[in-house]
Amino acid sequence: MIWLTWRQHRLEWLMTLGVLAVIGVFLLMTGLEMANNFRQLVLGNCLGLTSKGNPSCDELIQAFIKQHGFLGGASLLLALPLLLGALVGAPLVTREVEQRTHLLIWTQSITRMRWLTVKLALVLGAGLLASGALLPLLIWWHSPSVQIFGDSFGASVYDTSGPVWVATALLALALGIFAGALTRRTVAAIFLTMVLFLAIRAPVEWLWRPNFETPLTVTYSIDQQNPPALSNQDWQVASGYIDAQGNRSTDLREGCTRDETLTQCLQANGVQANYLTYQPGDRFWTFQWIETGIYVGFSVLALFAAVWLVRRLN
Amino acid sequence: MSNALETNKLSKRYGRTWALQDCTLNLPAGRVAALVGPNGAGKTTLLHLAVGLLEPTAGEVQVFGCSPLRQPTEALWRLGFVAQDTPLYKGFTVAELLTLGHKLNPRWDDALALARMQKLGIPLERRAGKLSGGQQAQVALVLALAKRPDLLLLDEPLSSLDPLARREFLRTLLDAVAESGLTVLLSSHIIGDLERVCDYLIILSASHVQLAGDIQEIAKTHKRLIGPRQDEAAVASVHTVIEASHTDRQTTLLVRAHGPLFDPSWEVQGVSMEDIVLAYLSQQAGARLPAPPSAREQNGIEVLK
Repeated sequence: MIWLTWRQHRLEWLMTLGVLAVIGVFLLMTGLEMANNFRQLVLGNCLGLTSKGNPSCDELIQAFIKQHGFLGGASLLLALPLLLGALVGAPLVTREVEQRTHLLIWTQSITRMRWLTVKLALVLGAGLLASGALLPLLIWWHSPSVQIFGDSFGASVYDTSGPVWVATALLALALGIFAGALTRRTVAAIFLTMVLFLAIRAPVEWLWRPNFETPLTVTYSIDQQNPPALSNQDWQVASGYIDAQGNRSTDLREGCTRDETLTQCLQANGVQANYLTYQPGDRFWTFQWIETGIYVGFSVLALFAAVWLVRRLN
Repeated sequence: MSNALETNKLSKRYGRTWALQDCTLNLPAGRVAALVGPNGAGKTTLLHLAVGLLEPTAGEVQVFGCSPLRQPTEALWRLGFVAQDTPLYKGFTVAELLTLGHKLNPRWDDALALARMQKLGIPLERRAGKLSGGQQAQVALVLALAKRPDLLLLDEPLSSLDPLARREFLRTLLDAVAESGLTVLLSSHIIGDLERVCDYLIILSASHVQLAGDIQEIAKTHKRLIGPRQDEAAVASVHTVIEASHTDRQTTLLVRAHGPLFDPSWEVQGVSMEDIVLAYLSQQAGARLPAPPSAREQNGIEVLK
C-alpha cells in the first residue's frame, strides 16, 4: 500500500520538491541580501526608537524598503497550500472514481478503510513535511524586516512564519480530499476546495483572529493630537471614541465643520476620550497556536467527513 | 457441496429505483456460472454487492459464509473481481500492476502472473494505457487470477472485445478453472459466447432473478411444444409456460416442465440456450415467474407418444 501510494503520487511529490526548490533558492538569495543590508542598519545603529529622525538611517531604511519591496508579496505564498489542496488533495479520490480504478483497488485483499488510511497518512504526512521544510527558511527570511519594521502580525509575516503556515497546508489538503470525496469529479472538487478554503480562511483572518484574546485598550484625552505610541511589534486592532456613558463608537454622530478645532468637534459630539485597542506583540505565538488549533480542528472535521463519504461511496 | 455465493432477498435501491430486488440465489462452489440479463437488469449491482463495493438496501449476501462488506478481511482475499471495461491504472506498466497485486494480496502467485503475461505476449514494461483493449482485459483477468481467488466475478468481460480477443480471454479463463477449480460468475447481456464455458445459468431481468440452475438441467426441462391451435391453460396447470405464440392453426409454447408431459398432440422439441434466455428476458416485469425451483425439484421431461 505504501508502495502503491508512492507510485501514484510520485509525480506530485517530485513537482512539490521542484516548487520547494525554486522557492527555496529565491528565499535564500533574497534572504542573504536582506541579511547583508540588515547588517548595515545594525552597524549604523539604526534600529530602535533612538534612531528615529536620524537622516542617514531614514535613507538606509528607505533604501531597504525600495530594494525589498517584494516582502509585502509574501502572502502570495498562501497560494502554495491552496495549490497543494487543489492539485494533490482533490484528485485523491476523484481520480480513482473517474478512471474507475476504485473498483480495481477496493477489490484487492486490503480493505477500503486501510487503503484510505494509508493514503491519507502518507499524503498528509508529505504535505506537512513539505510545508514544514519551508518554515525555518521563511522565519529566517522574515527576520530582518520584522526587526526593522515590527508588524509580525501583518498578514505576510503572520501567515507564513509560524505553525499557522503548516496548519494552512494541512487544512487545504484535508479540504481537497473532502471535496473530492463529496463531488467525485476533479474539476468540481478543485473548485470546491478553493471555495471552502477561502470560506474558512477569510473569516478566521478578518473576524476571529483580532479577537483570539481580548484586545488591550488604551484611552487618551481628546486634547491629545497623536495616540500614545505602541511598540512596532504590537497590532492595533481598532480605534474610536468613548462617550460619557462609556459607550464606544468608531464614528462621530456628526461631521466636523471647518471652523472648529478637532477637540471642539469631539466635544460637540459628546466624546469624552479617545481609545485604541491592540494586541501586544508578545501574544504572537499564542495567536499562532490558537489559529493552528482552529485549522487542525477544521482539517480533522473534513477528514472524518471524507472517510465517512468514502466508506459509503459506491 | 457448499456454496461460493449465497444471496438472500438481496435488494439494492438507488433513490426510488430498485436496481435489484429480492434476489435469492445460491452458486455452488466449483461452478462456472453465466449471469445473463439485458442492460440495466441489475447484473453489475449484484456483482458489486457480492464483492462488497456496495451496501445492500435489504437482504444479505455471503461469500463462503462471510459478508464481503462487514467482514472484508475474511472475504476479500478469496474474491477476484474484474470490473466492467476492465479499469487499470493507465500510467502503470504491466510490471507495476503485477507489483501492485503482489503487495496487496497475501495469496498472490507471481509465477502464474508472469507465465500468463509471457504466454499472452504482453510486454511487462508497456504502460497499461498503451495496450489494446483486448490486452487490457487480459491483464485485468490475470491480475484477478494471480490473486488465487476461490470465487472470480467478471462483469461483462467480453462486451468490449472482438471475437478473437473473446476467444483468447475465455481460453485464459478456462485454463485457470481447469488448474485450480475456482468458482466463476461472469455476467453478460448475451449468452452466445458463454454457453460453451458455463455449466450454470442465472437469468436476471428487471431486477429479479428469473431462473437459476445447472445448464444441463435447464436444457433438459425446457422444451418447445408445437401443436394445433389451442389454449395453453391445460399445459400451464402442470408446467410453467414461459412463452406462448399462436398462429391461425398452430400454438407454440416454451415451457419449463415440472414432470412428464402426457398429451401426445404436442410435438416436443429441444430449445437452444439462447432461445431459453430470450424467452425469459422477454417476459414482462409485471408477469413475473414464480421463484426458480432448486435443482433437486427439477425433473427431466418425458413424453409419451
